[in-house]
Amino acid sequence: MSATTATVAAGRKSRHRNGFQPASLGLLAPALLPVLVLSVAPLLYGIYLGFTDARAGRNMPVHVTGFRNYVELFGDADFWGSFRVGLIWAASVTALQFVAALGLALLLNQKLRGRWLARTLTLVPWAMPPVVVGLMWRLVYHPQAGILNSTLADLHLISTPVDWLNDFTLALPAVIAVGVWSGMPQTTITLLAGLQAVPAELTEASIVDGASAWQRFRAVTWPALRPVVTAITALDFIWNINQFGLVYVLTQGGPGGQTRLPMLFAYEEAFRYGFFGYAASLGVAIVVVVLVILAFYLRRMLKEAV
Amino acid sequence: MRTLPLKYLALLGYLVFLAFPLVWLASTALKTPREMASLHPTWIPRHPTLANFGEAFHEQNLTQSAGNSLLVALTAAVLTVLLALPAAYALVRFSSVLNKLALGWVLVSQVFPFVLVIIPLFLILKQLDLVNTRGGLILVYLTFNLPFALWMLQGYVRGVPRELEEAASVDGAGRLRILRTVVAPLLAPGVVATFLFAFISSWNEFMFALVLLKDPDLATLPLTLVRFKGADGVARLGPLAAAALLATVPSLALFAVIQRRLTTGLLAGAVKG
Amino acid sequence: MQRRTLLAAVPAALAAVGTAGCSSGDSDGPVTLRFLSLAWQKDSIAANKKLVAAWNAKHPDITVKYVQGSWDNVHDQLVTAFEGGDAPDVIHDESPDIAGFAAQNYLQDMTDLLPSALKSDISQQSWDTVTFAGGGIYGVPFLQESQIFVANRKLLTQAKVRIPTVDAPWSWDEYAEVCRKLTVKGKQYGVAWPLSAPVNKVLNLSLNFGGTFFGTSGGKTTVHVGDNERQVLQRIHAQLWTDHSADPATVGMKGADPLPAYFAGKYAMVPAGVYFRQQVVQGAPKGFDWVTIPPLKGTSQHQGATSQTLSIPADGEHQKEAMQFIAFLLNGTNQATLALGDWLVPTSRKAATDPRLTTTKDDWNVATASQKDLVVAPYLKVDGFDEWKTKVATPAMQQYFNNKISLDALADKLVSDGNDVLKRYQK
Repeated sequence: MSATTATVAAGRKSRHRNGFQPASLGLLAPALLPVLVLSVAPLLYGIYLGFTDARAGRNMPVHVTGFRNYVELFGDADFWGSFRVGLIWAASVTALQFVAALGLALLLNQKLRGRWLARTLTLVPWAMPPVVVGLMWRLVYHPQAGILNSTLADLHLISTPVDWLNDFTLALPAVIAVGVWSGMPQTTITLLAGLQAVPAELTEASIVDGASAWQRFRAVTWPALRPVVTAITALDFIWNINQFGLVYVLTQGGPGGQTRLPMLFAYEEAFRYGFFGYAASLGVAIVVVVLVILAFYLRRMLKEAV
Repeated sequence: MRTLPLKYLALLGYLVFLAFPLVWLASTALKTPREMASLHPTWIPRHPTLANFGEAFHEQNLTQSAGNSLLVALTAAVLTVLLALPAAYALVRFSSVLNKLALGWVLVSQVFPFVLVIIPLFLILKQLDLVNTRGGLILVYLTFNLPFALWMLQGYVRGVPRELEEAASVDGAGRLRILRTVVAPLLAPGVVATFLFAFISSWNEFMFALVLLKDPDLATLPLTLVRFKGADGVARLGPLAAAALLATVPSLALFAVIQRRLTTGLLAGAVKG
Repeated sequence: MQRRTLLAAVPAALAAVGTAGCSSGDSDGPVTLRFLSLAWQKDSIAANKKLVAAWNAKHPDITVKYVQGSWDNVHDQLVTAFEGGDAPDVIHDESPDIAGFAAQNYLQDMTDLLPSALKSDISQQSWDTVTFAGGGIYGVPFLQESQIFVANRKLLTQAKVRIPTVDAPWSWDEYAEVCRKLTVKGKQYGVAWPLSAPVNKVLNLSLNFGGTFFGTSGGKTTVHVGDNERQVLQRIHAQLWTDHSADPATVGMKGADPLPAYFAGKYAMVPAGVYFRQQVVQGAPKGFDWVTIPPLKGTSQHQGATSQTLSIPADGEHQKEAMQFIAFLLNGTNQATLALGDWLVPTSRKAATDPRLTTTKDDWNVATASQKDLVVAPYLKVDGFDEWKTKVATPAMQQYFNNKISLDALADKLVSDGNDVLKRYQK
């Protein structure tokens, strides 16, 4: 494009921007309406509840108590416990998911036979409703009738059955394994898409230059992949720290709170014991923490990308 | 070249890890209660039976719940795309302030626990007289799919160079024609990906369907699945596995058909996102 | 234009789908009741549906709609339904759960609604399980569970052990001795103890020795763990870690998990509720000879029990009609049918004499007879019991049964941490 055409185009661009402002609202409105009514409103209400002593009950009076819930939260050992479990869980699952998914994506990117079937099978965990996932893995982990113990015993790797989901030290790792399993599809497919976006010319050029596979990965693939990695790991972290259904079916937060994720804790407080206000303050606390962590993470990743 | 068999082996390892629970599910669905109480689990049932499927279908009217799930998930997914696409387009092309706000909203709404908004959400729906209706459920799924759909689609829209539209408008095409002939084809993979994500989220959702739907005729598949469970961990595994298979297969079939489009689709969105 | 048609399409689509799903509204004439049932076994579901159909045939002006819930999720469903003002008309639940809802004023006090025939047919002990919050009756109890053992009769006769009967049960000491006899090192254990949910079981069994765990004084409820409370805890622990007649690997299991090994002859006995007999019948290999061991005797044969209940919401619009249906569903004959379907014990005195429930087949006579020793579980009346159970008692007892802490440490936790939790509900 010549300089004149570019300027003309730029001019028209700014005119378009000003001219189309009202139309943009029209395009936004249909999406905005349900979001405002059904997402923003309940959320604001939820945040408000965090400042009250709301409890379950018919005609239960609600008083605004300010920051009392947060003070109580701060001194609640169970809260910090679930917070700790949540961080370990989210960090482990995100990291392991990423490494495993990267490996699989690299494999799927190659011209191997049966790619269509491989890709379809990759998506099995995503296709299963979380209720089913939980139940299936409970069966797999069953100490005596479970396929895991019987396979390990057949391979002579264990001599006595291991009670995976009820052992105080093994429960969290066992649950993390399921978390990795169930989250792999999304991460794998996203990374695969990112890999396919790597410009072919660059890869070919580096092959011509005689670079090894590892060097190629470091110099060409990784930099191109980086924005995708940032995006998907950040999103994975958020989804993981918010995990509820899967772990609930697997262990209900047991044994002894070893797998009680923050969301499980919030659910118990709200639905089982009826302390709505307290649970809401927990929700807000988690949001704040996650946003802070994300801010640091994203800033670092984006800075390095420049 | 020497690494080729290793690669196949690694791929096989991954696939076994990812797919074995599905095989185990199928195997369980074909077993009698007697065989399931056996101490040595086997992959292939010794006395396979189709009784579990019959039981699950007859007792819980699985066909009807499957139909409900299909209706709800399809409608929610279609609506999600229909609403998110113009919104994403507007956000990217017209206002960077609103765009940042929207993306910020996406993050916050993904983080805030769904468990805590269930009750206020239920109350709002009650005001709108949408309790115990599939329409209400669709509306909720639509709302909760929108943020992520917006995030995905605005990435794809960014991937369509503005210059393309400019060039077409220089050639004299009206805005609508530009959208239809230039932008839409490029967005197709992204739309497919977003549709798929919205469909699966809605198909699998359990908690809100549980509290919103009262009539047994309206129940979705995940709701019927939990009915095979009793208290204290006891469950009718056979019919449960049969029903679970039914709950898994449609998503899988959809994947198999669309998956090629999926990878090319996610590419632009993820990179630009 | 694209936009306009979009905007028009959305509400139209919603309306179309929405009205398709709407339940028919009720008018002043015919009444529709929603009956939320938690039946999940094949026989039980069939029995419930049949009874509902029978009612609907006889009462064209009061139609009952059968809605199936699930035990795992009924609590959440009800919390939302109550808070949203949209509860079912007849609610099937269990007494520990309705204790909470009663305290929250969501359930209707049925004292004035109950027909006298229904009231006198059910024993006072059963009514005690549903009396809360100042003496009101918040549900009709209809099914109860007693704690028994299922035993491998072949192994018992081989070891020349006396098989107890309803009139001559085992004492705890005799039972411990039997388990020792039935233990063959490396091959077989006397008993399995699935204790991943230990609290209710231990508390119910502790009444054999008068251990109540909870006491009220001056309006405040506190936890105590004295000698009576320690009996059952100690005895189970001894079987696991001193006698080695119970398999420690079972401690983390849920109720039905020991079954495969039990069928294979690895465990001679498994403790369970009476409903467990159905699992045995369904899953046992051909020719498996099993027998039900009646409840053990400590200083008494008393066991704590809860009950399955039918309740009416406080905001329910058709309370009289709901009560009529409940009275029908829970009359003597029908209760027997329901008990059969769920393999539990009916609260109705009339149902207890039903020949289907006194036959020796599947040891129904043993199960039905055990009802007389059931007393209301003390923890039913404790506000905050659920939290105490989840946060304090379950992890502490699991640690104790895994031999990680001592009995004194356990008692200490149950009392001090427990009282802290209970304080939250005494504001």
